[in-house]
Amino acid sequence: MKVLETLRHIGPFVRPYRLRLAGGIGAFGLSRVFEALVPFLLAMGINRLSEGNHDLLLPVAGIFGAVVCRYIVVTYARYSVRKVGQFAAYDLRRALYAALQKQGIHFFNNHSIGDMMTRAVADIGLIQRFIAMGTILIIILIYAPLVGFSFMLYLSPELTLLLIPPLPFVFMYAQRSAREMGITSEAMQERLSDLGTHVQENLSGIRTIQAMAQEDHEIKRFANTNQKYADAFYDQARVNSLMTSWMPTLAAICTIMILGYGGSLVMNGEMKVGYFVAFFMYVNMIVQPFRVAGFIINLFQRAGVASRRLREVLDLKPEIEDTGIESQTAPIRGEIEIRDLHFRYSNDRHMVLNGIDLKIEAGSIIAIMGKVGSGKSTLLRQLARLLDPEPGHVFIDGRDIREYPLAVLRAQVALVPQDPFLFGEPIHDNLTYDDPVRQVDAIWSAAEAADLTETINSFPERLKTLVGERGVTLSGGQKQRATLARGLIREAPVLLLDDCFSSVDTETEEHILDSLTRLRKDQTTLLVSHRVSTARHADRIVVLDDGRIVESGTHAELLRAGGWYAELERIQREGADAADYEGLVTA
Amino acid sequence: MSSPTPLPAVTPATRDYSAFDAELTGAALNMKLLRRLMRWMKPYRITFAASAVLILIMSALQVLMPIVISLVVIDGLFLGHQSERPDFGMQEFHAWMTSLTGLPPLLAACAIYALLQLGWAFTGHWHRMTLITSVINGLRDLRLDLFRHLETRPFSFYDRVAVGRVMTRVTNDIEALYELLRGVGTLVGEFVPFFVALTVMLAMSVELTLMLLLALPIMGGVTWLFRRATSQLFRLVRMTLSALNQNMHENLAGLQVVQLSVREEHNLERYDRINRENRDHEMRSARLETLYGAFTDSMAHIAIGVVIWYGGGEVIQSQLSIGEMILFTQFIGMLFNPIVVLGEQTNILFRAMASGERIFQALDWDEKIHEPQNPVTLPARLQGEIEFRNVHFAYHNIPVLKGISLTVRPGEKLAIVGPTGSGKSTLIRLLSRFYDFEDGIIFLDGVDLNHIHTRDLRRRIGVVLQDFHIFSGTIYENIALGSPDITRERAEAAARTVNVHGFISALPKGYDTPLSERGQNLSQGQRQLLAFARVLAADPEILILDEATASIDTETELLIQDALRKLTAGRTSILIAHRLQTIQEANRILVIEDGYVKELGNRQELLGSDGLYATLYRLQFQETAAE
Repeated sequence: MKVLETLRHIGPFVRPYRLRLAGGIGAFGLSRVFEALVPFLLAMGINRLSEGNHDLLLPVAGIFGAVVCRYIVVTYARYSVRKVGQFAAYDLRRALYAALQKQGIHFFNNHSIGDMMTRAVADIGLIQRFIAMGTILIIILIYAPLVGFSFMLYLSPELTLLLIPPLPFVFMYAQRSAREMGITSEAMQERLSDLGTHVQENLSGIRTIQAMAQEDHEIKRFANTNQKYADAFYDQARVNSLMTSWMPTLAAICTIMILGYGGSLVMNGEMKVGYFVAFFMYVNMIVQPFRVAGFIINLFQRAGVASRRLREVLDLKPEIEDTGIESQTAPIRGEIEIRDLHFRYSNDRHMVLNGIDLKIEAGSIIAIMGKVGSGKSTLLRQLARLLDPEPGHVFIDGRDIREYPLAVLRAQVALVPQDPFLFGEPIHDNLTYDDPVRQVDAIWSAAEAADLTETINSFPERLKTLVGERGVTLSGGQKQRATLARGLIREAPVLLLDDCFSSVDTETEEHILDSLTRLRKDQTTLLVSHRVSTARHADRIVVLDDGRIVESGTHAELLRAGGWYAELERIQREGADAADYEGLVTA
Repeated sequence: MSSPTPLPAVTPATRDYSAFDAELTGAALNMKLLRRLMRWMKPYRITFAASAVLILIMSALQVLMPIVISLVVIDGLFLGHQSERPDFGMQEFHAWMTSLTGLPPLLAACAIYALLQLGWAFTGHWHRMTLITSVINGLRDLRLDLFRHLETRPFSFYDRVAVGRVMTRVTNDIEALYELLRGVGTLVGEFVPFFVALTVMLAMSVELTLMLLLALPIMGGVTWLFRRATSQLFRLVRMTLSALNQNMHENLAGLQVVQLSVREEHNLERYDRINRENRDHEMRSARLETLYGAFTDSMAHIAIGVVIWYGGGEVIQSQLSIGEMILFTQFIGMLFNPIVVLGEQTNILFRAMASGERIFQALDWDEKIHEPQNPVTLPARLQGEIEFRNVHFAYHNIPVLKGISLTVRPGEKLAIVGPTGSGKSTLIRLLSRFYDFEDGIIFLDGVDLNHIHTRDLRRRIGVVLQDFHIFSGTIYENIALGSPDITRERAEAAARTVNVHGFISALPKGYDTPLSERGQNLSQGQRQLLAFARVLAADPEILILDEATASIDTETELLIQDALRKLTAGRTSILIAHRLQTIQEANRILVIEDGYVKELGNRQELLGSDGLYATLYRLQFQETAAE
């Protein structure tokens, strides 16, 4: 049963607030009673007037009293369900955020950030709205029959029974229209987003378009996208308009029955005029929520899907399990040993690391080179446990890295990733990202080592300069140097640099490497690079190919060996033909 | 061949570009704007008029239905009272219907009611459809006109205005107009029945009507207070919500850094702070909303009380029949709906006004490149000789080029080097006429550039910009860029020449592989090669290249150099060079500094003269220029 399944999914989100919710739902019931009193009192007034009784105090005062009571009760009810929805959304957001923070490379290889954002924004929004508005379903399914029909049955049982048969049809029509509206408005949203994408893409390429004199062609293309949106808009409007026309017309079947059958009852003296009038109001009161019934059902279904999608993420286990044993927290020296390390990504058959054996002494600088896809980045990621090695393959200071608590390991093994990511915050906050209360001196000396001082000083606000979309845009090289400074500042016993100089010119790189060797003379540094000019500074150069170590030694040794490294050195020195180079660097 | 004609220079300094970057703000009702908007509705005025007629009929039918119940059935049939008040002939119609069909009077009333209801459904539907059709078509045309206009604005415009803001004009601002017109449609649908019902009510009892109307200013006032109290809250809700999303998005985008810096706890704390703030603002606005929402629907109930109390009194004094009093209760909805809807629509209305203003501001933005009155027709194939004669150019009133003179020979390869901001890019952009320049002349095969239509000119000059822009579509479409002359074979030939065919054909779908919007499935080097293929396929007589800086990955660099050699073969080429290799291949090197020609000659000459080039060369400028 789908409904139950959906309820089971949404249930846990609401459970902490079940008393509030129950209170709200109860109050809704009470408010319906007060609301139903109004037609009853109106009928009483009309009856008295038609019978020549001029005492209208009771009906008038009664109506005002009912209105005041209803106001209080309904306000409470609506506020309560809103509150439950809002609090559930708050909980969900927090839980989702916490769950996603524990995911890593595997997860984000299979799920886009956009997808996760949709879950955080749209899916949680759906659940929140459903909790707040779903009570309308309860009003229709429980209170309408209970309250509305009791009053009507009291006034005239035969007429009431006559009115029941058309109602399921009204309900079904409402549901069908809502489905159609859902489909068409989704289509419309899609066309609208196509249109936005089209414009965005076109305008960002406006220089290319004008340079190639393609304006007319582009305008024609846009006219097409524009028309598609107009068509989708029309379809949506049509469905909407049809529903606006036919919902009340279907409900009018009840009105006509009251008019015909109820009318004959009045004319035969079996029913009072006032009750006849009240019937119109009761039918209206019952049918009114039906208009939105379809939407709520639609919302219910979508909230069910949304809750499943959220559960998927909330139930995820942390990608990297914190297997650490808290006991030892002494700073590490930086001796690394890798024994027969194999690795492949979960959605890939191909082995990325194919039996790596490597011993790195504390305090040495190791350069890792190799073709694209040879496993360089993967190797570094294992050392910071962004990817999880099997137990018994990677050791730091003779201890399996899985035995270090994650936070301890990552505090001492600093990885600077290939992609120079900066947060949309001041430079200062970016550089002290791991420890916001760092001394200013430390920031400047890291900036100096990464050759970033001049860049920072060129901004009027210096360290307070905001970077990113809302601040200054840094060039690729500046970003790389900033992320490098962020890594250097940590003075970690092990520093892993994943191709951090690709956008930095060789002269600056020389400078950085100089400070690096000076600052880190007692600490271990591993760096991935494509440039011989970078690698030659290392104590040892390791060349990977297809997940295996194929060459290993100092610059001079590898040149003598005459392998891949020696060939790369020749090309980079002389600038050889494209064909030579191609074979060398692409897998 | 032609004498230099002074051009009317655009004066960018007088323009207020900031207008394009302004945030959405509310503005007052602006009739001029609405009138201007109506111009786009004009072609659809007949449908528009039909919609106006239909709404009148619909409103009348909507008012007639309660009249049948109250005056015909209750007064006429139940109480035997003939109403003197305006009933739009319903009582006579009923009498006629009864005699015509021979039905019992009650059933005849039912039949009339059913007819009215069906009529209402049909006229209502067609009113909405005619209205919406004309609006959709009008706004579609407006959007296309706006796009056409923006598409042809020059570089100088896009240099200063953020693309996102321009995009918002075409998307969100036009969307706001849709909302506006939809809102106006709803309002009209409520207001016309309101006035029809009002006339009937006034005819029945002026005092009671006035008493009920008293509710309108009260509701209006409360609505106004509510809007005022919540507008600030809603803004806070929106702000915190977008801060939440932004925070989460950034955290996910930089998750690796977060994890490597062991910042998870701290960030969760920060997120939660905003989350809590958002929840609290939401709850505060929920309190006001529930108080207000319950108030508006209570008004209708209070009105019923008033009708019995005061209307009942009039019934007792025989000034009002019972059916008429009941009719009042049935009109209450029609009386109050417009003000509720109005309250819902005012924000949309104001937002749409601001959007409308910005749309027209964009349409009025007449910045453009000067085009010749009688453009010179270029020969089928140009020689490719280019002469700059004393060219000056200022940007933002800051001189960039200060008298550039030089001649590029047909088929020559000229490399331009110089520090950032020296005017290199400007020089080549003037050649494609992306900017108007005030002083000096550029000749192309002896023809003054200003006498050539830009479209014609740009077909002859192939430009490879630093950033290769990818349009959504297949690889083939990205090479051909919609030109019908570029067949599949021609595109393939071009790709083969520039060393990218191998890569393309290795893809499962080959040339039909769709490229994602930002080209995530391409490496930098592949993008550069595709850019070459795109230009080569268009086969221009002159090639201009703004070489990508050092951030291109080293792997494909040699492939690129080889492709470049083939691309420039037999073509006059001007290359802004960042790589040693590119410069070494050039016939001559032009060194620009501070808007002047500093040095010009072949490599040996320049190295020998020990000037700026020699210095740059020593500094391995190909990489220092990267920044």
